[in-house]
Amino acid sequence: MPLFSFVLRRILQMIPTVVFILVVTFVLVRLLPGDPASAMLGDRAIDADVERINASLGLDKPIPIQFLYFVKNVFTGDLGTSIALKLPVTTIIMQRLPVTLMLTLMAALLALILAVPLAFLAALKREQTADAVIRGTFQVGLSMPVFYVGILMLTVFGATLKWFPVGGYGDTFGDRLYHLFLPALTLAFSFSAVLMRNLRSSVIGVINAEYVDFARAKGLRPRTIMIRHVLRNALISTVTLFGLQIGTLFGGAVITETVFAVPGAGRLMIDSIYGRDYPVLQGLTIALAVLVSLTFLATDIFQAWLDPRIAR
Amino acid sequence: MKKIAKAALAAVLLVGTSLSAAAVERGGVMTYGRYADSLFLDPVLNDANVDIWILSNLYDTLLLPTDDGKGVQAGLATEWKVSDDGMSVNLTLRDGIQFSDGSPITPADVAWSLKRAANKDNGIWNFLVSSIDDVTTEGDKTVVLKLKHPDPAILAALTVFNTAILPQKVFEAAAGATDADKAKVFAEHPVSSGPFVLQSWDRGSTMKLVRNEHYWGKGEDGKPLPYLDGVTFEVLPDDATRILKLNSGEIDGAEFIPYSRVEELKSAGNLNMELFPSTRVQYVTMNARPQVNGKDNPLSNPKVRQAMNYAVNKDAIIAIVTHGVGKPMTSYMSSATPMHTGDKPLYAYDIEKAKSLMKEAGFEKGFDTSILVLAGNQDEIGIATALQQMWAELGIKLELQQVDNATRTQQYRDGVFTMREAAWTDDIADPNEITSYFVYSPTIDALHTGWKNEEADKLFDASQKEIDATKRAAQYARIQEIYNAEGPIVPLYETPYPVALSKKVHGFLQIPLGNNFFGRAWLDK
Repeated sequence: MPLFSFVLRRILQMIPTVVFILVVTFVLVRLLPGDPASAMLGDRAIDADVERINASLGLDKPIPIQFLYFVKNVFTGDLGTSIALKLPVTTIIMQRLPVTLMLTLMAALLALILAVPLAFLAALKREQTADAVIRGTFQVGLSMPVFYVGILMLTVFGATLKWFPVGGYGDTFGDRLYHLFLPALTLAFSFSAVLMRNLRSSVIGVINAEYVDFARAKGLRPRTIMIRHVLRNALISTVTLFGLQIGTLFGGAVITETVFAVPGAGRLMIDSIYGRDYPVLQGLTIALAVLVSLTFLATDIFQAWLDPRIAR
Repeated sequence: MKKIAKAALAAVLLVGTSLSAAAVERGGVMTYGRYADSLFLDPVLNDANVDIWILSNLYDTLLLPTDDGKGVQAGLATEWKVSDDGMSVNLTLRDGIQFSDGSPITPADVAWSLKRAANKDNGIWNFLVSSIDDVTTEGDKTVVLKLKHPDPAILAALTVFNTAILPQKVFEAAAGATDADKAKVFAEHPVSSGPFVLQSWDRGSTMKLVRNEHYWGKGEDGKPLPYLDGVTFEVLPDDATRILKLNSGEIDGAEFIPYSRVEELKSAGNLNMELFPSTRVQYVTMNARPQVNGKDNPLSNPKVRQAMNYAVNKDAIIAIVTHGVGKPMTSYMSSATPMHTGDKPLYAYDIEKAKSLMKEAGFEKGFDTSILVLAGNQDEIGIATALQQMWAELGIKLELQQVDNATRTQQYRDGVFTMREAAWTDDIADPNEITSYFVYSPTIDALHTGWKNEEADKLFDASQKEIDATKRAAQYARIQEIYNAEGPIVPLYETPYPVALSKKVHGFLQIPLGNNFFGRAWLDK
């Protein structure tokens, strides 16, 4: 059962990571200049109002005491109440995080669909026209800023061709998938470029490996060689990259969500930083830390499956 | 000949308006693109324009602002009378008014709502009604406000969002121990007194309002208001996306059109580019304390401040930053604020005068100073870079410090900033709010600058109790004279509210205070 103990070990390792991130966030947001009441009340606030509101939020107490209260509440499943939105943090996160998750998943899927076949094609037609065209196109995708690609997509496929809605978020599940397609494609554009370049060079490396020559000499069919030997081995580094890039994808979602008016967690995060909405920031950080850790875990498991030596 | 043509034109225009008035159409849902979502729909405890500017669609007030935002007209109350000594106000409620749940709006609801608004422990707007001592009821239609002192702004205050009328019974029945807790629950599914009711709210995305069947207002066709079946707000934070969505017909209106695109949208055939008059003023605040952060502060010298004012070419800034949409300020308060005085731009550009003032002040060679700029805000960065070049003429080296809003607010409130950019919009149709913050030192040390003028403070105190309108206007004229001459700001420009509407939208109104009124809006079929 090497795989089982490997997974267990990894899950246990996640706990200190999440706790560490939480403590750092908790302290850092409080060290930022400005406090929730001032941020919320803006320039017109008078001192008495600011003090009254900060006290009602318990922010007049020392940071270690605030942290103890917070930890006590987290263990009862209570992440507190948003200062700006006046709603329980768990409710807000349950509304906003799934949106970003769906967007990120769709983007990751689209990126794979784009990157894997094209990387193979480019590797097999190395230094030929197809390779140059594929690499050139992705180079453009990589070098264009996300907000610009987003506005371009909205203008062409939304406002002009009217194939997709110009931003926003639908009411039903199907409608939402439809609304999320363009933002996901925007995110996938630069993401797939990174994946494609990496996979192409690994495929080129693997194709020239001796075991592939041996498989060929054995008389295996080219398709079998490609899937069982080349793909499986070439994927290892790409899977690592994919896992690591998921975090970046969350970051890209912040801009994409703004341009496409998608009510996701990225925008919530930005608003909470500007508004010094400590409870939402803490809650979101925990949720994102757990999610990214889980992604890394999944990456590790998949790698271990691709290459059993890793789990040892 | 010219006169006849004018008369003919006027006649045509008149016929035109009455024709469109006769042709009011009912039904349909208007979709409106907003730059940010609302936060908290409680009239008393909210603290942001994103709430304030839409609240009047949900909650009605005793009096309503006139369309120009300067006067008052009947709302839930049809008659109002301030007593001769100015110590009380008698209001008569409209017949048959109801909340959206069909229950009657009673004097008890009114008294409770007003007392809640005036309670010092509630929110940050209670200062607008701080003169209210008690509210009593007489019979089933009369409400009497007893005041601590005569308050010339009390009628204007009764049009402001925080004096909106809520159903006492429903509010108090909401779960929660404190008023703030109950407000959170109530504001999720509020019972309305205004033309619309909240139907659903997807945070950060869409808010749907539907018509309040029990609203008292009557339309031009004699049937109940509102004309629309509903209003849907879509949150579209990106300017370009908001305009694209309007152009593609997916929404019927969009707020906060960037100044750079106003000209372009004016010429778009399918849109009406509206520039609603506003009370918004843009200015630079200068710390007037002799020392800031332990260093001598040249800005404490009124001559230096005047010199810097004369050295700023406002027309150039208006052209660069607002693309010609703005206009120069003629007083610290906007020209749409009641009792505004001044007919020529403050500190018309005069570099020679500026240089001689600097010499008189002993700063012939200039000095180093700094300004706080909101990071990533194009308007603020544009203004600051222009100021940097203009003040360089006086030998002043201006350092731009880009910070986020909370950081800036902190330095501002602590009085340790040197200069900052800022904008202001009135919440009440009276000069007292802006004057209290800009001029009157006990409120926030005159915009946290430490500036203080005894005469202005005394005049303000007196004006807050002066019910003779002429005398009060004279007091305000003097306050403006003092502040405009030596106050701690560089007035830059006034701007209207840029709203783009589809051609099929009629009757939508944004008043100078910023409030969006959908109650009389209607759509072509």
